[in-house]
Amino acid sequence: MIDAIFNQPTYQTARAMMDVTALRFEAISSNLANVETPNYKRLDVSPAFESALKDAISSGEPNRLIGMRPSLEIDSRATANARDGNSVTLEDELMAMNQTTLEHQLETQAISSSLLKLRMAITGRAA
Amino acid sequence: MINILPGIESTSAALQAERVRMAVASQNIAHANTTRGIDGKPYQRQSVVFESVMAKTEASFNGVSPQKVQVSRIEKDTSGPRMIYNPSHPDADNAGMVAMPNINIHQEMADMIVSSRAYEANLAVVRNARSMALQTLNIGKR
Repeated sequence: MIDAIFNQPTYQTARAMMDVTALRFEAISSNLANVETPNYKRLDVSPAFESALKDAISSGEPNRLIGMRPSLEIDSRATANARDGNSVTLEDELMAMNQTTLEHQLETQAISSSLLKLRMAITGRAA
Repeated sequence: MINILPGIESTSAALQAERVRMAVASQNIAHANTTRGIDGKPYQRQSVVFESVMAKTEASFNGVSPQKVQVSRIEKDTSGPRMIYNPSHPDADNAGMVAMPNINIHQEMADMIVSSRAYEANLAVVRNARSMALQTLNIGKR
């Protein structure tokens, strides 16, 4: 029964997205670690999962988000450079990393504010 | 142990590998003029070979797992020595030619810059991972 108060769409969505953000960060750190490894292919969160997450969020049913597990796969859109077959671009990776960090910030704030609203509803006091 | 900093395993491995590469490049520069190595022959250029290995993280239970990087081996460059004419050199042969190491300083410097840029990129990952972890710990606080 107590679960019900954590079932707000904002909270569930932010949680699911945070899992994805953390996983994407792992992929980016793996890519940057291997920026000089011959024949390394860039990793990213699988596009199939991304579209499934988008569908689940737009359906407005938070329960659909619970069982979702993000996974990594080799980014097929990235082209390998001819010199050593590596498909990582340093600049793109750094941009993606900063974007991921900001996304994470957004998600933690969304979670915090939805918990704050809950607390306000329980105690009746603002803050 | 809980993995509080995401992706830190591959990053720390990369920092170590880049340090090795930097050490090898500086060794090459230091020996750019060594005509008599420990084996009596001119010093031969060494180069680092990187390889990726699977990192063991929770992410590996489905899909592709993140990859660490490590130095697989340090190879000797077997190309021939650079011959220069210097009859007064103690290691000169009968024709006055000296076999110098097969090192190109400019190439080594370029390698060193690439290596330090890669090191910086990995340090940026550490910084961002740290700020993400701190934000996560602050969830629910005002």
